[in-house]
Amino acid sequence: MAEKQSTPLEKAARLLDLVPYISTHQGVALSELAAEFSVSESELLSDLNTLWMCGLPGYTPLELIDLEFESGFVSIRNAEILQKVRLLTKDELVILLVGLDLLIKAIDPKRADLLHSISQLQVKIEAIIGDIATIAPIVNSSYRAIILNAIASRKNLQISYHSLIRDQLTEREITPIELLVDHSYEVLQAYCHHVGAFRTFRLDSIADISISGYQQPLTVKPKQDEAFQMEIKISKRIRSTLERFRIPVRSDASDGSRIFIADSFSQDWLIRSAMSTLATTEVLAPAHSRVDLARKCRRALDLYESALFANIS
Amino acid sequence: MSRKTERLVNLTIALLATKRYLTKSEIFRTVAGYEGTPESKERMFERDKDDLRNLGIVIEVGTFDPLFEDESGYRIKPENYQFQLGGLDSKDISLLSLAAEAWRGAALDSSALSALVKLHAIGIETDSEALPDLAPAIISKDANLALAISAITSRTVISFTYLSEALAEESRVLEPYAVASRYGHWYLFGMDLDRKNLRSFRLDRILGTLSTKGRAGNYEIPQSFSVESHLLETRSQQMAELYLRSGRALALRNRSNEILDEKAPLGWERVSLEYRDEERIAEEILWYGEDAVVLKPESLRDSVIESLQAGLIRYG
Repeated sequence: MAEKQSTPLEKAARLLDLVPYISTHQGVALSELAAEFSVSESELLSDLNTLWMCGLPGYTPLELIDLEFESGFVSIRNAEILQKVRLLTKDELVILLVGLDLLIKAIDPKRADLLHSISQLQVKIEAIIGDIATIAPIVNSSYRAIILNAIASRKNLQISYHSLIRDQLTEREITPIELLVDHSYEVLQAYCHHVGAFRTFRLDSIADISISGYQQPLTVKPKQDEAFQMEIKISKRIRSTLERFRIPVRSDASDGSRIFIADSFSQDWLIRSAMSTLATTEVLAPAHSRVDLARKCRRALDLYESALFANIS
Repeated sequence: MSRKTERLVNLTIALLATKRYLTKSEIFRTVAGYEGTPESKERMFERDKDDLRNLGIVIEVGTFDPLFEDESGYRIKPENYQFQLGGLDSKDISLLSLAAEAWRGAALDSSALSALVKLHAIGIETDSEALPDLAPAIISKDANLALAISAITSRTVISFTYLSEALAEESRVLEPYAVASRYGHWYLFGMDLDRKNLRSFRLDRILGTLSTKGRAGNYEIPQSFSVESHLLETRSQQMAELYLRSGRALALRNRSNEILDEKAPLGWERVSLEYRDEERIAEEILWYGEDAVVLKPESLRDSVIESLQAGLIRYG
């Protein structure tokens, strides 16, 4: 736990929340209470000592909050005024509303009871703050749970994976290593037994997933994937094109020359991205990519020029 | 340090316990911690009121006798102080706790923690066994997301620098209405005060930190506004027809319908596909190169052919 000094306001908020919490958890251990409030035990003791000085005007023992914590277990008396749980702030309601959106989209439609409870809660919250936040998740929360379980229990996973780069849906047995974020996408780093190498899988491209029960011990270590580069010049739709090539977007980028370097571990991905953006982007280097692109354009044009693919209604 | 904390808690207790409005002089006389000259007490009290308001605590101002211009007083109504979601069962608490957990380590980590503490303080045991195994997560650490949400809930105008399609820096002033996440990106919606129109902005295209302008509560979100309806595309839906090579162009295939076509070349299927943005769908079709051929509409087919011809000239 980070030993970060709270501001007086944060501390006051915590004291107001400690009272109802201790009231419903009389005799709670100091360590447990510190963990619940994400503070160190010494900070918690300082909180309790401050709280002990608070109460109703008059501030005689009759009016002060009565705390007992010397034994290492905390109980509270004479705190009726603050005993009610504080209301949720609007920002807290927003995060709950968005979090519920993630749940409702991951729950099996057969659990009508849960879906009903979630929408009831969302209605209650929206009645207070309005319809001001929503999320359409791209990753299924139950898939993430399965991956975390597999990592924790050292199990392998069976996944059905849709690779946009290879334009293929494949079944693979993988040994999950860790969840990471790459260019704002969640990815799973894993050893893929299908190709016998380490691979990175985008979570939003996993079509199905299950724990496969056993884990083969890994004898290899992940090696840095070979990186490929492509030099490109963008003539229009610069921001969208940079985003497509996952080049960080900045206003001072390229000092007006509009020439950028795109990186990827996959040459295929670079080539496909360059095909997609034929209308806005010229690949300057490497030369073999230009040859590749010319060939791809020729092949596609051959189809358009063939009578079989003529535009007949 | 803790003197101020103590004073804030004592003030809350006093204002919450009172059945009538307490005048400022009563507060200064009875609540522990107000010391110094009358001016410094006054300043302390004003700051304390703002601080409590920032914690979501509503202090009501009123007079003893509505018939007379009396000295005004202060109190906190218990119904405005306490947890407002009404009766919840253990399933509700479990669901709400899981919803808050999604923000752990993300942009609103501290709000998530305080919400969890309040939910747990209710004292109903959560029943996680009753829920399926779910690990909701929000991965955005963008500080502007937290700032935007606070600005929306407090109705505070914001200003920021936005990067245009041509990478120009544009200054924007916005009454923020809502945030929404779509396709893995967060968007901010609101009334653009210079352009006098509803606009949306992708949060990761905002340069630097957004800043607030003026006081909270400076505008209202129109009753008619709803994010969901604003997210609906206003551009009309169009229909394209394509030949897709068998077993290829999976992402296009997944959202298309197959059309029976006896003249389809061997090893190809004819499909129909809905789209709204012609530039975007053209890029997506080109991603699949020689595995997808547009048949109609004419304009889309022409733009794909034009791109391919330009590519052939450029690279050939």
